[in-house]
Amino acid sequence: MLAPGWRRPFFGLAVAAVTLLMVFPVAWIGLTALRPASGVFYVHRGTEFTLGNFAEALAKPEMKASFVNSALIATFATIFSLAVTITSGYMLSRFQGATASVWFALIYLFRCIPYISWVIPLYLLTQWLGILDTYWGLLLPHVAIHVCFFSWIMKGFFDSISPDLESAAYIDGCSRWGAFFRVALPLATPGIVALGVLCWLYTWNEFLFALILTGSRTPMLTVRMAQFVHETGIEWHLMSATAVIALGPALLVTLFAQEYVVKGLRI
Amino acid sequence: MLALIVPAFLILALFQIVPIVIGANASFRSWSLFNPQKTWVGLANYRQVLTDPLFYGTVLPNTFLFMAASVTGGLVAGLALAMMLNRRFRGERIVRTAILLPLMVPPVVAAIMITWMCNDQFGIVNVVMQAVGLEPVPWLVYRSTSMAIVIATDVWLWTPWFTILILAALRTLPPEPHEAGRIDGAGPWRLFRYITLPLLRPVLMVCVVVRAIDAFRVFDIVWTITKGGPARSTETFSIYAYKQAFVYLNFDLGTAASLVGAAIVMVVGAVLYRGLSAAVEVSR
Repeated sequence: MLAPGWRRPFFGLAVAAVTLLMVFPVAWIGLTALRPASGVFYVHRGTEFTLGNFAEALAKPEMKASFVNSALIATFATIFSLAVTITSGYMLSRFQGATASVWFALIYLFRCIPYISWVIPLYLLTQWLGILDTYWGLLLPHVAIHVCFFSWIMKGFFDSISPDLESAAYIDGCSRWGAFFRVALPLATPGIVALGVLCWLYTWNEFLFALILTGSRTPMLTVRMAQFVHETGIEWHLMSATAVIALGPALLVTLFAQEYVVKGLRI
Repeated sequence: MLALIVPAFLILALFQIVPIVIGANASFRSWSLFNPQKTWVGLANYRQVLTDPLFYGTVLPNTFLFMAASVTGGLVAGLALAMMLNRRFRGERIVRTAILLPLMVPPVVAAIMITWMCNDQFGIVNVVMQAVGLEPVPWLVYRSTSMAIVIATDVWLWTPWFTILILAALRTLPPEPHEAGRIDGAGPWRLFRYITLPLLRPVLMVCVVVRAIDAFRVFDIVWTITKGGPARSTETFSIYAYKQAFVYLNFDLGTAASLVGAAIVMVVGAVLYRGLSAAVEVSR
């Protein structure tokens, strides 16, 4: 439906304003990242531009390692989280009874508990297990973060798939698992992929767990950047360059999978 | 059937339930680096947190203010954008990508962007304000402007999330009620108010519940923008608990404060959940 004639200019203006509001901060940090140190305080005037900030930002201690670590943790957390919550969501969607209701109540309850309430003692636990400041010490808590919410969302995905389709598969001789793998899972895949993309981004962007559970052995990007703000608060050109690089992978993932995200959540 | 939830349950038990038990235990003891006995002190830590004027006078009001403002802002903006995007127009794809952009931005990066834009000497916001003849504002010096900046950052970050979910729901609405309404002569506002909005109620409620619970525990953007300052006046409860545990090394007070917050959010969550069930019930 096209907007009626007299409302068109107004509509166009509103669209432009909203677009600007959403894009401007990112564009501004991008512009700042391209200015040399001498021009950074007057970004809005001056015409010198440079790409040197990116190299200089990456040369900072721990910066390259933190990019690699963030990418690795995000990837594995996504795989593990999806794997354990697909079945959990399916169970919530297809089974009734005491176990299912208790599990659902548990998930809702633990979803509500603020992160800070369990990440402070998690520091002690991971220290005691000897995995503080290692990949496992951050990866497994990240999966725990996603268990509750993703089970809930996955339940929604499976709820929207009619159980009749699976019944039809039973009649054709499929087992319960067969029906799950051949019917329910393929139909839920667009949603699951979309959730995977979002999960990757959440983990890449996560700050609190990374701050508490990692140190110098496994530096994480968001923590490194926040330190950067307070260590070198005046080097705005380097800070912006780092921020732009941090935006890069996330930007690519979502640009590449944008239609998928929207489609997947439409289910 | 149980096999389906065992992996999820094990992870949840070991990395969320066990830590909460450890934390609860620590909150009843005198748990500091200098006290290897970890003496049992009962409710003393809770008493100390609850009688701390900073906690009940600044931290809790800040947390609730942030929660209310960021959920309301995100919901209204998200609903408006979803209504706007739920039609065909030229440049739709570009606009949709632009609106999704904040969703991909790490909160820490968003916080850095806003801190730079609101820098008191060189930030573009003050440059523009001076250009139009206003006095420049030292944004991060006052409590009110600092809170406003933190809230604005959060609304900017989360509006796309509301938009996507609401837009997805709009796309799946049955066309018949709107057609019937149009035949009965309802204008766009009435169609929205009496047909679209009630049909969207379940998804709106889900958005509000999820976001309210998330907003209550905000940490990253507050930490990066203000660190709780100026003079601890913008601390939210997560920042307060973190500082107690890892800055002042009062592990006992930190866990006690974090559990007080958990109790509050449970009550809030329960109230919202009842509202949610009611809304879903009505929609059936």
